[in-house]
Amino acid sequence: MSDIRNSRATSNEFQDPLENYDPVDYDDPLEEALATQPVSAMQSTPYASISPDTSIRDAVRQLAGMHIACLLVEKDQKLLGVFTDRNVLDRVALEYDQIKDRPVSEVMTIDPVFVYNTDSSAAVFTVMAVHGFRHVPVLTSDKKIAGIASPHRISGFLREHFRE
Amino acid sequence: MALQQNIATEPVARLDLREPVLCGPAESIREVIVRMRERKLGCVIVVDIDRKPLGMFTEGMLTQLLCGDPSALDDAVGDHVAAQWPWVLDTDPISLVLDAMHTKNVRFIGVVDDDGRIMGLTGQKGLMEYVAEHFPQQVMVQRVGSPPPAEREGA
Repeated sequence: MSDIRNSRATSNEFQDPLENYDPVDYDDPLEEALATQPVSAMQSTPYASISPDTSIRDAVRQLAGMHIACLLVEKDQKLLGVFTDRNVLDRVALEYDQIKDRPVSEVMTIDPVFVYNTDSSAAVFTVMAVHGFRHVPVLTSDKKIAGIASPHRISGFLREHFRE
Repeated sequence: MALQQNIATEPVARLDLREPVLCGPAESIREVIVRMRERKLGCVIVVDIDRKPLGMFTEGMLTQLLCGDPSALDDAVGDHVAAQWPWVLDTDPISLVLDAMHTKNVRFIGVVDDDGRIMGLTGQKGLMEYVAEHFPQQVMVQRVGSPPPAEREGA
């Protein structure tokens, strides 16, 4: 019977599985930022939000008054949907007189694709490039609203990392 | 080659340009909205008979119009276009698109040829697809909306 203690003591050949690990070498500062920086490193605040029972008329007024293209629709800090310029075009404009007093929840985009603020920043680009959404809500790990990534903020992120 | 270098040297024509919705200045905004809905596009370019742009009408302008005077939807779109709208030449570097998006805070940018005729439309979508194309190993593999890893206790 072999003595395991002796065999361990005499074996000096421990192999560290990470000993040959080469850290990823990025040749582009933007690629490194996409891979290593979380969504929280992007600007995602301020954001504007409304409750789901806000009238369509008031929601349109808020979009127009703040010169923004997206409102987050929330209840108890939980994201229920988004109301955007595109919703105005697709679901409101031609029907405005008939529906302006109805709640915005009837015309908002329900369950929008979102990212967590701990996700890789590449996730925001995924939502925009693959899913085709222009505004991406950002949530905390307990699904509370942390902000929104907009086209303007994303272009700022790109320019920031081009300057490095 | 790094994206930064590509974006500074490659022409706008390299982007996946979208076919714009074109209309004449006398069409009503209501008619234009129907066409924008059909084409799932957030802007229309108003052109003259030589296909030269007179201006752009966007969904953002539509929101402003609804807020101020909903009856204006029956007006001719030519009365409400932005004559100062962002455009680039198809031979300009892509970096101009990025600069316009950021400094002018616009989402749609017209692309014209040397004669000033509209060739296509680009903006946020085209730029995001360009970035994704450069970094597919980062952008194309993300699972969005998945819960973050739960905090673990012990091993």
